[in-house]
Amino acid sequence: MIPTLTDLLVASIALAVPVLVAASGELVGERAGVLTMSVEGMMLTGAFASVVGATSSGSALYGVACGAVAGLLVGVLQAVLSVVLRADQIVTGLAANALALAGTTFGARLLLERGAPVPGFSRVEIPLLADIPVLGPALFRQTGLAYVLIAVVVLLAILTSRRTGWGLAVDAVGEDAASADRSGIPVLQVRFAAVLVVGLLSGLAGTQLALSEVHTFTDNMTAGTGYLAVVAVIAGSWRPVGVAVAAVVFGLAQALQFTLPALGVDVPFALLVMLPYVLALLAVAGFVSHSRPPAGLNTAFVRQGRAA
Amino acid sequence: MTAPTSTTTAVVPTPGDDDGPAAPAPAAPAGPAWRDRLLDARPVLVPLAAVLGALAVSTGLAALAGATPAEAATALWEGMVGTPYAIGSSLNVAAVLLLVATGFLVAHRAGLVNVGGEGQIAVGAVAATAVGTSLPSTVAAAVALPLLLLAAAAGGAAWASIAAWLAVRRGVSEVITTLLLNFVGVAVLVLSIHEEALLRQPVTSSETLPQSSPLVDAAHLPLLGLPDSPATAAVVLALVGAVVGSVVLRRTATGVRLEAVGRSQPAARRLGVPVDRLRFSALTTAGATSGVAGGVLVASVPYVLDEGLASGYGFSGLVVGLLARGSFTAAVGIAAALGFLVSGGINLQLAAGVPASITQIAESLIILGVAGTAIWTVRRTTRTRRPWWRSRTTGRTAARPAPEVAP
Repeated sequence: MIPTLTDLLVASIALAVPVLVAASGELVGERAGVLTMSVEGMMLTGAFASVVGATSSGSALYGVACGAVAGLLVGVLQAVLSVVLRADQIVTGLAANALALAGTTFGARLLLERGAPVPGFSRVEIPLLADIPVLGPALFRQTGLAYVLIAVVVLLAILTSRRTGWGLAVDAVGEDAASADRSGIPVLQVRFAAVLVVGLLSGLAGTQLALSEVHTFTDNMTAGTGYLAVVAVIAGSWRPVGVAVAAVVFGLAQALQFTLPALGVDVPFALLVMLPYVLALLAVAGFVSHSRPPAGLNTAFVRQGRAA
Repeated sequence: MTAPTSTTTAVVPTPGDDDGPAAPAPAAPAGPAWRDRLLDARPVLVPLAAVLGALAVSTGLAALAGATPAEAATALWEGMVGTPYAIGSSLNVAAVLLLVATGFLVAHRAGLVNVGGEGQIAVGAVAATAVGTSLPSTVAAAVALPLLLLAAAAGGAAWASIAAWLAVRRGVSEVITTLLLNFVGVAVLVLSIHEEALLRQPVTSSETLPQSSPLVDAAHLPLLGLPDSPATAAVVLALVGAVVGSVVLRRTATGVRLEAVGRSQPAARRLGVPVDRLRFSALTTAGATSGVAGGVLVASVPYVLDEGLASGYGFSGLVVGLLARGSFTAAVGIAAALGFLVSGGINLQLAAGVPASITQIAESLIILGVAGTAIWTVRRTTRTRRPWWRSRTTGRTAARPAPEVAP
């Protein structure tokens, strides 16, 4: 079968969904002023736990629960480090990623059998809509989990928009924690919760990658996708729609790896592998967007007078 | 980024740093003498506790993998120092880590965090291989080796200079750019060994591995000549690098200027220090030493460039640099310890069946332990921090709001 534009779009959306889900979590975290570099580790841990859960129970849904809880646990670790202990957010984030990579590699040797069947999600076609030429198959032939996750992303964007109390609290805590504190917003609780949201969504993003797309766990299977999610938040100017567009662009850049060789285009594979990261570099270098990060990003909050 | 794990963040208040509550750490001036001494010893005790904790967790994990603590300890010990061969290969690993850490410390003195060791190693190794495979076989080692190492340094420096340029000119955090450049750098390595037009060895059959041709004999790093030991001249090279780095940072005007930049860019700028140029050179130097590390890896057994060459060294080198807290003496010791740990971990897998990734688990736990307890070991944690991805190159720092302490 000769791949067409449709196939490229299908692959792009498939690869964009994990980035989108993780990035929309990261967006909430960054808006609250916590830079969570451990998205990569959360995704990998989520992917690993979901595969372990799904194979040991035989149920894909149980796998999803495991993936979500695992992401949440890494989120708790990161929240304790970043919010409670006021540790360096970048250093602890990178260390948490290293821990997740080594831990899942270690765990895979012990807990996973090579070639064992992994219960996963298969694609569900939405009647009529899936027949729309070109776009239909990409958007309306996803797995059930993907539909649910996209709904979660939309719901999260609505719940944390600037029209809700939660959204305002998140922005207040991230822009000016001292003023937020004086007006009675529990700064540390909001930030802690925001990091938990990052953990939950990143864990689910890893689950989607493992159970909907790859249908197995391989060492370091996220391979930098989590960092792309962090960059997508910057490239998207800390706005949900922008983040979604950035996630789709990264998905497209990743999809070229699989589609171009199938088309017979003779581009070295390694060039295609580096493409998303080159785009990410251009994005953070400000060649794409010029915008201002939340003022309190990567700054710990401590109230005056409290013994530290 | 001013990492709270570094001693440089701890002491001198920057201008514009409104003098909020002093030491948030529980300083106890009136406590009994032993307590004072205990508190003073925190910078040593905390890493020690982190190491012990990581060892305890690792022992537990090894037990999960089916090795009794005694078996695991024996296998680890054998792999670390059991044979002259083990000691030699441990030292070789330590040399690579020390090279990466030396550059990290230089950049860190200027307030820059180089996370890009892996990419710089990869590009340095590619440059070194290009030189090492294209030299005629008659060339003398005295010419070939310096050429190879220079090429490696230039490759790593060029790679880091991208991040340095973006940091200085466009104010983009070097943390995120060096991180992303890792992925691109490793892809450059993969590209160069998959294309015959680049560095791939001539493909003669479908079983030809994607790796470079072997380097010419003259470009092989000489062994140190210890009996039965694979330790190479890289060990000496890394030690010389660390000594030079230490002397430059501690005894020269350049070192003082770098420290001024690291403590406060606005203040350094007002004193007439060429801030941008120093930051650029500091990060580029870090790239150069990591590049040399890549060159050393290629110029050691089996003398070819292959896909997994850079893996893990970048992060481990960063670990050494972070734990050393600005001290080259500490860096030498920690690099040696980690080098032995990595070799021991490989034997742990071979002899006791415990996956070798257990050493990375231990490493990252140590970092989490040390970074997570910084509020108890570093006296001042609430201070002006630039936003993480816009660095303070434009002089805006002075106008930035004071630390987030409610007045």
